[in-house]
Amino acid sequence: MLTKESRTYKLAKAALLAVLIALTPVTGELYAQTKKPLPTAEKKEDPLSVLYKEAVKTFEEKKYKEALVIFEDLDAKAVDVEPKLKAVVSFQKSLCHFFIKDWPRAEAELTSFLEKYPKGTEDFLSDSDNRRGTAELLLIEAFSKQGKWDLALARLEKIRTNALTRLEERVNAYTLSAQIIVERSKNGQEDAKKAAYAQAISLLKQATADGIGTPERREAAYKLVEMYTKLGLTKEATQLKNEIDAKSNGSPVEVVRSNFQRLEIGDARFGAAESAADENFRADFYRQALTNYQGTLRRANLSSSFGRAIEAKQTEVDTLTKNFAKPSPEQAANIEKTKQEVAQFKKIQEEFNANKDYDAFISYRIGLCLLELKRPWEAHVAFLDIFENSPGFSRISGAYYYHILALRRIGRNNEAQAKCKEFISKFPKDDQVSSIALILGDISQEREEYPEAIEHYKWVKANVKNLTPEVEEEIDFRIAACLFSQVDWAPAQKAFEEFLKKHERSPVRQQVLYMSALCSFFQGKYKETKADFDKYEQEYPKGQFIPDVRYRQAIVKFGTAPRDVAGTIKLCEDWLKDYSKTNTDEVIAQMPEVYTLIGDANIALADEVDKKVKAADLEVRANAKSPDKAKYVEIKTKLEKEKEVVTNKAIDAYEAAAKSARTNPQALEFVLGELRKLLPGRGEHKRMRDLFKEIFDWNHNDPKAMTYLYEVIRSTERMGDMPEFAAESEKVRKDFSAQLAAARKKVDEIERRDKVVKEEVDAAKAAVKKLSADLEAELAKVDAKRQASIADQKKRALKILSDAVSESINDRTQEGTEKLIVFLAEKIARKIKRVKPGTKPEPGAYTSAEAEKELVKLLRLEEHRDSLVAQARGFFALGQLAVFTREPEKTAANFGKIAANYKAEELNPTILAMVGDSLLSKGDHKKAADYFGYILEHSRSSEYADYGFAGLAEIAFSDKKYADALSLCNEAIDNNILMSKELDLRFTRARALAELAKYADAKKEFEEIAKTKEWRGEKTAASLYWLGLMAERQATDDKGYNEAIAYYRRCYMTWKKYEVWAARSYFASAKLFANKLNQKDAAKVLLKEMLEKERIKDTREAQEAKAFLLGL
Amino acid sequence: MRLSFLLPALALLAAASSSAQTFVFKGERWEINDPFKMDNSIPPKPVVDPKKGTINAIKGTIDRVSNSGGIEVTLTRKLSEVVEVIWPLPSRLKEAQANVGRGEPAKALDNVEAVLKFFEPIKNVPGSWWVRASIVKLDALDRLENDAATESFLTAFEKEEAAKLPEVATQIQLARLMQRARKGEHAEVVKESTELLGKVETAELQARLHIVKGNSLYASKKYEAAMATYLRVPVFFGSETELVPKALLGAARSFRGMDSPALRDQKLEAVSNRYLYDIIVSYPVSKEAEEAKKMLPKEERAKAEADQKKIAAGGPLPEGVIMAKPKLADEEKVEGNK
Repeated sequence: MLTKESRTYKLAKAALLAVLIALTPVTGELYAQTKKPLPTAEKKEDPLSVLYKEAVKTFEEKKYKEALVIFEDLDAKAVDVEPKLKAVVSFQKSLCHFFIKDWPRAEAELTSFLEKYPKGTEDFLSDSDNRRGTAELLLIEAFSKQGKWDLALARLEKIRTNALTRLEERVNAYTLSAQIIVERSKNGQEDAKKAAYAQAISLLKQATADGIGTPERREAAYKLVEMYTKLGLTKEATQLKNEIDAKSNGSPVEVVRSNFQRLEIGDARFGAAESAADENFRADFYRQALTNYQGTLRRANLSSSFGRAIEAKQTEVDTLTKNFAKPSPEQAANIEKTKQEVAQFKKIQEEFNANKDYDAFISYRIGLCLLELKRPWEAHVAFLDIFENSPGFSRISGAYYYHILALRRIGRNNEAQAKCKEFISKFPKDDQVSSIALILGDISQEREEYPEAIEHYKWVKANVKNLTPEVEEEIDFRIAACLFSQVDWAPAQKAFEEFLKKHERSPVRQQVLYMSALCSFFQGKYKETKADFDKYEQEYPKGQFIPDVRYRQAIVKFGTAPRDVAGTIKLCEDWLKDYSKTNTDEVIAQMPEVYTLIGDANIALADEVDKKVKAADLEVRANAKSPDKAKYVEIKTKLEKEKEVVTNKAIDAYEAAAKSARTNPQALEFVLGELRKLLPGRGEHKRMRDLFKEIFDWNHNDPKAMTYLYEVIRSTERMGDMPEFAAESEKVRKDFSAQLAAARKKVDEIERRDKVVKEEVDAAKAAVKKLSADLEAELAKVDAKRQASIADQKKRALKILSDAVSESINDRTQEGTEKLIVFLAEKIARKIKRVKPGTKPEPGAYTSAEAEKELVKLLRLEEHRDSLVAQARGFFALGQLAVFTREPEKTAANFGKIAANYKAEELNPTILAMVGDSLLSKGDHKKAADYFGYILEHSRSSEYADYGFAGLAEIAFSDKKYADALSLCNEAIDNNILMSKELDLRFTRARALAELAKYADAKKEFEEIAKTKEWRGEKTAASLYWLGLMAERQATDDKGYNEAIAYYRRCYMTWKKYEVWAARSYFASAKLFANKLNQKDAAKVLLKEMLEKERIKDTREAQEAKAFLLGL
Repeated sequence: MRLSFLLPALALLAAASSSAQTFVFKGERWEINDPFKMDNSIPPKPVVDPKKGTINAIKGTIDRVSNSGGIEVTLTRKLSEVVEVIWPLPSRLKEAQANVGRGEPAKALDNVEAVLKFFEPIKNVPGSWWVRASIVKLDALDRLENDAATESFLTAFEKEEAAKLPEVATQIQLARLMQRARKGEHAEVVKESTELLGKVETAELQARLHIVKGNSLYASKKYEAAMATYLRVPVFFGSETELVPKALLGAARSFRGMDSPALRDQKLEAVSNRYLYDIIVSYPVSKEAEEAKKMLPKEERAKAEADQKKIAAGGPLPEGVIMAKPKLADEEKVEGNK
């Protein structure tokens, strides 16, 4: 595509080449005789001279045909003249033929000139150039124009090998030979072309062998760069080009030429990249293309070059004209030549100016390279440049397309869609509309915004008139797929059916048949589903959806009435047999679903058996005293065993499903839910623990990993309370129960005897007591074992948690580690038996000191002694433990250790935020600012980003940098960085606004805080105080002061528990009463009331109030 | 195809000039001793070739010894008679530019002052490096952020003849803009730099203006606009190797500013780190590379440093790295300073 585009530069290039063409100056006067004219003749000019001048003038006016007629007339008349004069006429005639483009006559005249006049025009036209060289070159071109390549080359070879030829003419001959060789091969095969380029390169290398110091050699070098570029020898091309640039004389012509050559090298590299098979080469080629495109000059620069060149040339013309008022022929020719150069420069400038796309094309190419080099942000900027500076770019649709692509790659789908819409509304008839509209729909579809996607697709169908059948088919399919995805089964099925009718031979027929059947399936139309799937299987017996179809056929069997459970299980087992070794993603993801269906089928069987168990149980009860009881008991037992068997099968199947559901989170979630219901109730905690441990170990960074770990911990803890202990206790109770009953019976018997012997009764009672005591002792033994077992398992659970923490404790980037630490700290804190403040814990009780030791041990901090972050996490864990044990000093002390020993870059956002907050509350603003600043610098997308903003804003506010505080709050609020600190940020914003005297805005903010229920608390009290303060600051009369007092009153009346704000409000009100409203009594009453409040009397305001009261 | 006329016409183009240090007077040329070329003695002294002209700054003359028929004659010309200077880029000016790039403004000033002093008497002569040196001095002063010194230098510079040259005038405007940015007048700086961008031509000035504009947008917390402005430098002026690292650093900071929990999917922190990585890998000796190392998390910093070493040892470029190629060193050519 780019190579094609480069043609747009051809106009400019053609104009550039035109600059390089200079006309052969015609400077002499043609006299009929060589002898000097007689003095008398001075007055009357020689007629031949007059004729010659007329011919030259006509020639200069570019009237070549007329000039030719005059030269021919002159040729016929100038019989008796010197050979050099005849040569001049012959040469001029040949020039006329040449410009008329009469190649055969030009060829004839030039051949004649060269054959007849071995000395050429001698010194007539120039002292140093007899025009034979020029004639040779013109003849060669005449040959070339007629396709007489061999003749042209033969003449050039003569020049090249002639030792007498001027050096620079030889160089020109080499260059021309190379060009002709390439031109000759233009219509040949690719091999022939390559061979021609190679031959041309060889000739051009000879032309430039002695350097590129002269214009002729530089021209050869330019050609050589072209050849290198065409052969893909970019390195050589670039190297030589740089050499040429270095030797450049800075003329605008060279600047422009060099510029376009750079573009061509870029295009060549881009083309090479597009066709490169090797990824590494491809990237290199794109880089090279990019470097060349970036090195090209922009319009402003080139235009300026032109401007300067024209100005300089014009000055030259003016100077020459001024200096040579009566110019000699040579001077006149020089002036004319300079004028023509001015005209040529202006022509180039005009043609360049006409090409409005120049800059846009460069940006476009740069954008494409960057996109290919996986630099979508830079590509985005390159395309933005086109929209901002060249909205009329001829390839604007392409720019839109690639810009949209860049936006999608950087994850800016909203902007991509906006760009699609902008394009569609701006260029509704553009060829790209359908593909862009498709992208628009595709983005919505990808974001699961199906109604919007359908709307876009329908719009395309309705509005784009030149849709290709393929695009139309794709749109029909996409619409149906969107309906399907938004679970509109009936309309989706209708759309699929219509699709099949309309596009019978569609490449997606198989998929459509399958999806259509799924529509029946999801509507619960099992009969239709079976028919549809049968049709699919018949049409595509080895189709890509066969595994899923077979699975769903099993579901149909399970879902139809009467339910065919055995059939379902059979189909599932066959499925597993056939696909258990298939490794496709689809089959792997489907496997847990098949297992789950087996589990569901077995549960259904178990439910059936359960009904029979219940019936048997009723029979047992009904026949409790009949001789058939044993029979019914046997039936019931058998049924219970049967239920147990199928339930076990179900659990096995669910377990297999869970273990195979690594790539199918929905299936995993469902089956784990089922297992959570079944396993704990059956006391299968170990099985539960092992299963969740396995799943947890799949990926510790999985968002659900914490949930799995939680299950592991809970199951492990439950494992301690084994059913054996309950059975043992039961057995003990049972054993003792008979003995106790016997002993009690014995007591009863003794007591009922007619003659009761007290000692005997006492002994019997003592026996009962002893038995009771023994029972308790035995039960206590069992319970001790149980408690030991539970404690042991809890220990194991902590070990698992400790393992999980330890695994990532060294990795600063693992933000989940802090969550685990908090979980661990909470678990340990629960072991501590709380005592009232001041009370000593019981001897041997588990204290917070021991908890700290255990936590340190579990975190394995000794093992991670060299890890800074692990040690910091240790302090963090101890701080968190103290939070749970309600020991704020310890929390502050541990967080203080982090602050004292760690730089921000050694910590992660969670610790930075927590410790930063702690430092802020302790007044260590400098360190806190470091931590918060680091969060802002590095972790703006973390869930603790708002700590950074809120903390820094608070620090700025306390430093009275209100504008900075406001700016930080605005940034966080405007960008919705408000997770835990929204209230703090809004409160600081309101205060900053108030301090900046933006009272109206501040009032809105404070009122919003005060009325928000969820935020009721200290900030509500503070907001009321601030509302009062603002009213006071703005008040100019009693009304204003009363308004302030009303706010203050609301504060101290409603929010006494926030003593600081209540005290401030009391005192502020009292001062207003006394100083502004002249109500000193009211002020005294209020101050007394204030000072009576238990909470308030120790505040700073209370001290001030006391002093104030004395002065009243 | 126009073959033949193209070649004869090329004869009209001028040949390249020689590269020795030369002063051109009306009618003659003198080769001049390079005062920046030192010998190996301790302390080093300037290398003096008696056949070449030596400048006497006090007298404002150039003296040269000529041997004519066995008799040595000292020829003297006034510096004011010099009509053209043909002088390759002075080594100390080159070093001063490198100092600025490496963030060593004090050293840069030391180097550039020597060049300014040497070219002072011929500052307005075509080919003199005085203007270029003045611009480098402006850069160094900007890096020093010494507003008083910058102000004093700018005021003097504005009075010079060279200040009327469009390119120099723009450089001065640019320096003034930077001063205003330091004063916090960001809205005005953004407005004026945008206007100026439509007027300047050279890639270097365009790149500089984009950086000034980007800095003010960044300071105004308009991170998205700042990012798009900074990135224009590597995208469109990738060969301005002295300026690209500044722009990349600005872009990296802007990406961090743009980052928020709502844009977490765009992984802007990682994008930012990628630019910092690019600076370390592609511009390892720049001041910005040092800054980038401070900004990168240490794990990524270590990787960037290791990759940079691999690339320096000739290893392949990692994916996505666009190694900047320096622009054609125009100033290193004799014609470049005309």
